[in-house]
Amino acid sequence: MSATLLYALTGCALFALGLGATVLVTEPLRRVLAFNVMGSGAFLVFVGLAQRAGVSDPVPQAMVLTGIVVAVAATALALALIRRLERDDDDAR
Amino acid sequence: MLIAWLIVLPLAWALAAWLAGARRGATIACAGVLVQLLLALALAREVAAHGPFTYAVGGWGAPLGIDLHVDGLSALLVLLTEVVALPLVLYTRAWLVAQEQDGTYLWPLLGLLLAALHALFVSADLFNLYVTLELLGLGAVALVASGGERKQLAAALRYLVASLVASGCFLLGVAVIYGIHGTVSLADLAERVPADPTTPTLLAGALMLLGLMIKTALFPFHGWLPAAHGSAAAPVSALLSALVVKASFYVILRLRLSVYSGWAEQLDWLPALLGGGAILYGSWCALRAERLKMLIAYSTVAQLGYLFLLFPLLAVGELALTAGALQILAHALAKAALFAAAGIALLASGRDSVAGLASLAGVLPLTWFAFGLAGTSLMGLPPSGGFLAKWLLIDAAIMRGQWIMILLVVASGLLAAAYIFRILSCAFRSAEREQAVALRPVPRTMEWVAFALAAASVLVGLEANAIAGLLGTGGAR
Amino acid sequence: MNVAVVFDGVLAAGLVWAAAGALLGRDRYRAVILFIVFGLLMTLAWVRLSAPDIALAEAAIGAGLTGALLLDALGGTTAATAGRARRWMVLPLAVTVAAVLAAVLRALPVRSGPLPDAVSAALPESGVTHPVTAVLLNFRGYDTLLEVAVLLAALLGVLGAVRHAEPVRLASAPVLQAAARVLVPLMMLAAGYLLWAGAHRPGGAFQAAAVLAAAAVLLALVGMISGWGRPSLRLRCAIAAGPLLFLAIAAPLAGRAALLVLPPQHAGLLILLIEAGLTLSLGFLLAGLFLALLRSDPVDTGKR
Repeated sequence: MSATLLYALTGCALFALGLGATVLVTEPLRRVLAFNVMGSGAFLVFVGLAQRAGVSDPVPQAMVLTGIVVAVAATALALALIRRLERDDDDAR
Repeated sequence: MLIAWLIVLPLAWALAAWLAGARRGATIACAGVLVQLLLALALAREVAAHGPFTYAVGGWGAPLGIDLHVDGLSALLVLLTEVVALPLVLYTRAWLVAQEQDGTYLWPLLGLLLAALHALFVSADLFNLYVTLELLGLGAVALVASGGERKQLAAALRYLVASLVASGCFLLGVAVIYGIHGTVSLADLAERVPADPTTPTLLAGALMLLGLMIKTALFPFHGWLPAAHGSAAAPVSALLSALVVKASFYVILRLRLSVYSGWAEQLDWLPALLGGGAILYGSWCALRAERLKMLIAYSTVAQLGYLFLLFPLLAVGELALTAGALQILAHALAKAALFAAAGIALLASGRDSVAGLASLAGVLPLTWFAFGLAGTSLMGLPPSGGFLAKWLLIDAAIMRGQWIMILLVVASGLLAAAYIFRILSCAFRSAEREQAVALRPVPRTMEWVAFALAAASVLVGLEANAIAGLLGTGGAR
Repeated sequence: MNVAVVFDGVLAAGLVWAAAGALLGRDRYRAVILFIVFGLLMTLAWVRLSAPDIALAEAAIGAGLTGALLLDALGGTTAATAGRARRWMVLPLAVTVAAVLAAVLRALPVRSGPLPDAVSAALPESGVTHPVTAVLLNFRGYDTLLEVAVLLAALLGVLGAVRHAEPVRLASAPVLQAAARVLVPLMMLAAGYLLWAGAHRPGGAFQAAAVLAAAAVLLALVGMISGWGRPSLRLRCAIAAGPLLFLAIAAPLAGRAALLVLPPQHAGLLILLIEAGLTLSLGFLLAGLFLALLRSDPVDTGKR
């Protein structure tokens, strides 16, 4: 098995781990970490699988770059919502 | 050309609205959506006259570049987006003034949401679909959260997590597809896959389907929807129930018709089964809901399940597709009308309960009329669009001998009647009206919008021929 | 056994270990630190996969900016909540799913797709010589346009959700400020280099913007700039300028027949313009994602 395929399989493991954690762990901050891990797993599969023959492919690389940017956007939004909920909880106490 | 402007324009005015501030943002949004409506009409006319066409963004053409494919179905849905958006923009403007709330972020987010919808309906590239789904999801979450109340923030967070899990599954599916076939262009895949679907391709399809089912809130993945649609601001709920959830359904339909056609018929029973569950479960919860907007949100869960019944009938041909398109149109208009009317009830009476509607008996006749008309479309009474959609669906089911489906369709209509009557019966409880608290005045614009949307959901049945024609010559395959 | 194989194996194992630790561990602070470690290991993985552009972006955005956002979020008052009871279910579920996926993927024939050759063939007309930049800003520039819209939607959502009454400024730290005065101009230079280099070698607008945002985060942390309350018109214009420029170039105006057509003779210049605009605007935007969330109380690193 080539190195790239190894990374693709690692991506599967990370995706599954992230998916499981997002669904089963309830703490909001962990969920944010979990879907980031899930995304990273999917990105590894994307590039790893496409490049399994050893040829560097710019198209999935560009797509993963897009994906990373989208992930940080989602993370920021999730953290903003969590922050606001915490603040409201604090005010209510 | 038209399609390019339908994407560039809402992005541009969204930015302009953010720069211009809250008050002028409303005017910019109105002007933008009006122009978009005209463009969408022109697009539909062109597709009806000349048939479907493919548009290569950047001039490169798939699989190197991204293609946009406009056919009867996509043109119809783009038109639907504008037809629903324009009245809602007017409604939102009046609503913000009446609630004394700040629309600073609402208008730009609306522009981004509309751009996402247009881009999604015409996209012919899997990764591009992923990006549009993300824009749609984040925009919708941001809109739900923009009200600032605790309920809305909690619901928005839940929606966001569900949406991101769904996008992640979809993205993995796209990744596997690219790894197998070396392309993400729907046209290329539609040529290669149906002939020889291998296990990995099916796995990828399953992942994408899972993600899209979560986004469409199909039972049992519907958990995020009632909270999000039920607690968001009324105009936001209207947009979400009417348009946003339909977008992911459209992607499922598109994948089923183009890439996963042929052998996929064996698995069509699965979404239909879940759809049946959605109808029963959603209607049951709607019957028991205490809050008005929750009732309407659960109704969305039920009606979305109803859309999935269409899959086993696709083999019949265009009949099923017309039924599905009519159902999407009728439901979008009716649900927007219901949420608009609910927003009026909330504003007037100050509370969001079904029982509390009794305090509005005898006043706000336009709003009650809107409730009634929209209700008839949801129930499927003639001559509304909802009725025609159900009729065509039953027709197709008879042709395929799917008797259970007919039962489900009829059941969905009866259950819808039951929970609609919960709302309408309050109009006649005038005894409680006397002891009601003073009602707040409601801007006329809001009432007219609710009425117009409800009337449209009924009248769309009269245009069924034109719609079928558009889907037919538009070649929605 | 050669060194590369061992290295890859250790790296892959390290990735899974760091991720599992971050997601399933007990302590929130440790979880975030492990996540940042995970991000840095991912950067190495991208290098091993011959994807230096992604490695740059992962380091700057994935580990860097996301790490900063998460560390800032740690200052929250809620302790680690319940849900421990279900944590043990994650590993078995994950192993099952991963096994299924892996089995299917391993069975695939080893070949590469047609697109790398197509990209090389079309590269001379794209205006740049680096394939990833060509794909990102020319062949699939439409995705990039929508991605900018996604960032914008997220910023609008963050601003709408947080709604600070007045801007927050952290306590100033004189020694760190002196360091910042040296570092920030260097970071701006680095950003400029990444922007310029993107046409010929790994780099580009997103990486440059991330470095600019990192500079802004640094300035905020040492107390030289304040967080965002409601962004001023000038700031909004700065953020909107890049996307508006992109839209103006993309729109079918001035005789261009279709969306996002870059005529080959001007493509290089147009791409540079788009990237420059995006670097500036996304720099402010990404900074804004952090600055809008900035807390007035310092990050609590103690155990809760």
